[in-house]
Amino acid sequence: MTTGNQLRSFARKPHNVILIVLAVTLSFLTLFPLISLAKDTLIVHPSEIMTVKGSSVGDATLFHWKKVFFDGETSQNMFYKPFWNTVNVSLWACAISLLLGGSVAWLVTRSDLRWKPFISTVFIFPYIMPSWTLAMAWLNFFRNRLIGGAPGLFTALTGIETANWFAYGFFPIVIVLGLHYAPFAYILIGGILRNMDANLEEAAVILKAGRLKILSRITLPIIMPAVLSTFLLVFSSCMSAFAVPAFLGTPVRFQVLTTQLYRTLNGLNPGYGYIMALVMIVIGTGILLVNQWIVGKRKSFTTITGKSSNISLVKLKAFKNPVSVLLILFVGVIAILPLVTFAVESFIMAPGDYSIKNMTTQFWIGPGSEDVGGGEPGILLNKYIYLGLWNSVKLSVIVAFVAGTVGALAGYAVVKARGTRLASLVNNLAFFPYLMPSMAFGAIYLSMFAKRNLFIPSLYGSFALLVLVGAVKYLPFASRAGMNAMLQLSNEIEEAAQIIGIPWWKRMVRIIFPIQKSSFLSGYLLPFISCMRELALFVLLIVPANRVLTTMLFQYNEKGWNQYANAINLLIVLIVLIFNTVINKVTGASIDKGIGG
Amino acid sequence: MPEIILRNVTKRFGKFVAVDRLDLAIADGDFVTLLGPSGCGKTTTLRMIAGLETPTEGEILIDGRIVFSSETGVDVSPDKRDVGFLFQNYALWPHMTVEQNISFGLENLKWDKPRIRARVDKLLATLKIEPFGKRYPSELSGGQQQRVAIARTLATGPKVLFMDEPLSNLDAKLRTEMRAELKRLHVETDSTFVYVTHDQLEAMTLSTKTCLMKEGLLQQYAPPLEVYHSPANVFVADFVGSPTMNFIEGYGKNVNLDEIKLSVGGLDLIFTPVSGSITLRDDQEIILGIRPEYIPIGESGQGKARVYSTLPSGMETVVKIQVGALQLTSVVFGAIDFEIDGEVRFGFSGDDCIIFDKETGMNLALGRLTIL
Repeated sequence: MTTGNQLRSFARKPHNVILIVLAVTLSFLTLFPLISLAKDTLIVHPSEIMTVKGSSVGDATLFHWKKVFFDGETSQNMFYKPFWNTVNVSLWACAISLLLGGSVAWLVTRSDLRWKPFISTVFIFPYIMPSWTLAMAWLNFFRNRLIGGAPGLFTALTGIETANWFAYGFFPIVIVLGLHYAPFAYILIGGILRNMDANLEEAAVILKAGRLKILSRITLPIIMPAVLSTFLLVFSSCMSAFAVPAFLGTPVRFQVLTTQLYRTLNGLNPGYGYIMALVMIVIGTGILLVNQWIVGKRKSFTTITGKSSNISLVKLKAFKNPVSVLLILFVGVIAILPLVTFAVESFIMAPGDYSIKNMTTQFWIGPGSEDVGGGEPGILLNKYIYLGLWNSVKLSVIVAFVAGTVGALAGYAVVKARGTRLASLVNNLAFFPYLMPSMAFGAIYLSMFAKRNLFIPSLYGSFALLVLVGAVKYLPFASRAGMNAMLQLSNEIEEAAQIIGIPWWKRMVRIIFPIQKSSFLSGYLLPFISCMRELALFVLLIVPANRVLTTMLFQYNEKGWNQYANAINLLIVLIVLIFNTVINKVTGASIDKGIGG
Repeated sequence: MPEIILRNVTKRFGKFVAVDRLDLAIADGDFVTLLGPSGCGKTTTLRMIAGLETPTEGEILIDGRIVFSSETGVDVSPDKRDVGFLFQNYALWPHMTVEQNISFGLENLKWDKPRIRARVDKLLATLKIEPFGKRYPSELSGGQQQRVAIARTLATGPKVLFMDEPLSNLDAKLRTEMRAELKRLHVETDSTFVYVTHDQLEAMTLSTKTCLMKEGLLQQYAPPLEVYHSPANVFVADFVGSPTMNFIEGYGKNVNLDEIKLSVGGLDLIFTPVSGSITLRDDQEIILGIRPEYIPIGESGQGKARVYSTLPSGMETVVKIQVGALQLTSVVFGAIDFEIDGEVRFGFSGDDCIIFDKETGMNLALGRLTIL
């Protein structure tokens, strides 16, 4: 075959074309920004002319690197302390979420726990809800007089003033992040347990091994590689969390990398910020490599399921009722109680006073009055809220559509060309954005598209930029879902259509998509929900004209207009939960399918 | 000595009845196969005896001890039933070496190290897997994994051994080999084997008794040759034997003394029962069952037929013949290549042709056939 013919036969296969297009586009959208970011750490930015003495804009300089890493006390405060805080917070939060999520996963898949459907549905709520939901609930409950305002519900009810360490900083951040990512660990570990052949445990039962021994010698070692990779994913998610430390850490000046990033990029020293973003990306990439190494090493540990329907459940006996009731109470506290506090807080006139006569509907449907919250009307009458809501929904729908479709195509092409170098390149490129901390990713796009770049005009402040950054950031979810869907589908299904001459697009639309509808749709659902509740990714890119609900919430909160913030938060949570439930019921798509549980 | 008794055992999954009022007695030293199509409840039955599944109703005794009773609420856990279990997919622990897999059960019995070592070595030798002791299961072939699984199950010396389709993941050649080994093991270990399979050939060749099930109901529980020659009903007759039995629907009535005239598919036959006399209503609807080996074909014979197809396999030849509207399968010894559409003569031989009642499917009588 001549080279020309080889090329032609290569190009005749649609998945090759998709791979080529994706490889080029994704390189441009993920690798190129990385280079641009690296460059940004080495030049003088307009706001830095005063700090970098005797320089002009665009000069090459090592000033930022010196300041961040090698300037004694300054580096300590600016980088090292936040860095260790980040590592500490992430490790502990990870431990909590793995322990909690893993235990619940084990109870739900392996024991005769009561009310499983309810528990497994509600336990996921904290992950569907925006991450700061629990942080705000924590503040609603435990805030003290430190930040000026009124104390929270806990103090109001008991009269006990909460200690600073308990109300703000490290402790609550760890707890809240741990709880937020516990469902994520639950979905991943639950998926592993569900796929693990129960016969492996039964074989040990027959050989007279006790429950504990089975857990320690059989179950844990077998799922350990997968648990480790769950650990790394949760770790990198915790590391890139912005909203929670911003809400809970700022009052006591507890800084982590993301909050530092926000301060420096929004302030006068973007050069420092770009370096920190780079550090986070390096850590994220390191985690990916370690993860791939672990996954590559495990020797067919996930055995082909024998008869998992025949699974025999561990009898909890005397613990059955107490454990079940405790879990119900627990999911109530972490998933439902926060919503109640938002509702309560949003109806309180003077903060800290929870008596009936202090209740008001002012912040929902009241007309604006000068003495309250800068004269803003209640959120249901505020046209800016509706604008934000419209922007949020519009953005999420478009992002979900783009990410979901591209992800489905990527999944299709990668699975079709499995084993080729091109396929694994695209696979990695599509997963790469997952490791970039949202804030850093936003920063990169800010730096890259703030000015005209190649043939792309300056996108700063445009809606298109938000769509672009959202679609790329959430592509990993969608491409995972697409791959899962395609891996379950045998090649013959498509070949049978191919042989009778059905064109490619028709095979996709009429055969492949309908068969794996719920899996593919999960690839749309996850970006949609993530986008609806995203803050860190957009917070640097938003301008007043295209504000979304989450950034408005953040602004209200920064201004200390607690009631508005609570009301908006309740609105966001309800919208997300309703969308999730409706889509789940109508199409069968679900978050856990997207994550690949 | 271990004897297993099931009384009125029922298992329901929601509304679906997997096993329906099963009574079964497995004597000490038996090699019993639970046979049936997929979904007939055979695996569920095995798992219930082992204690991996809890019956909805009934009573199970092992070695005279009640291990399960829905009435008294007794439910002895699997580890206290002193049984061995061989899983279909072997369920070898992927993170342990072959030796660790085998010794795990012995550690649980608190054996001391030298004794475990000796036992493991002996098993490795018995099952011819000595070179693989330090390997991981994923580094072994299917047949080797199978042997490791057997070694692990035998290690603790259980008196009762349960096997859930243990050979179904092996290729045809290995399967035949392992069958022979299992039969030897049964004698060597002097234990009771209960074996689940959907392969009737496996059941025929291995077991001392076969328990045939269909949709949760026991169909026949008898030695395999009895099941073969005197199946309890049409389902059993159809399930056992390869190539399958010929079934011809028709009518029968008593003529003479002890003789029955059958008209099936345009043929008029006389059936002489050998299993005792039977009485049919006039023109009772029946199904005539004839095993392929009881239809000799060749130069002589009372009937005339056309060869429809012929499948010589060396040792024997399966020939389909067309008799009027009927198609019959015949097996003849040796490789004889009949010409398709050629003419042959055929007859019926032997005393084991069967009349089934069409309505109930039950076996009415065994006997001899002559063409009128």
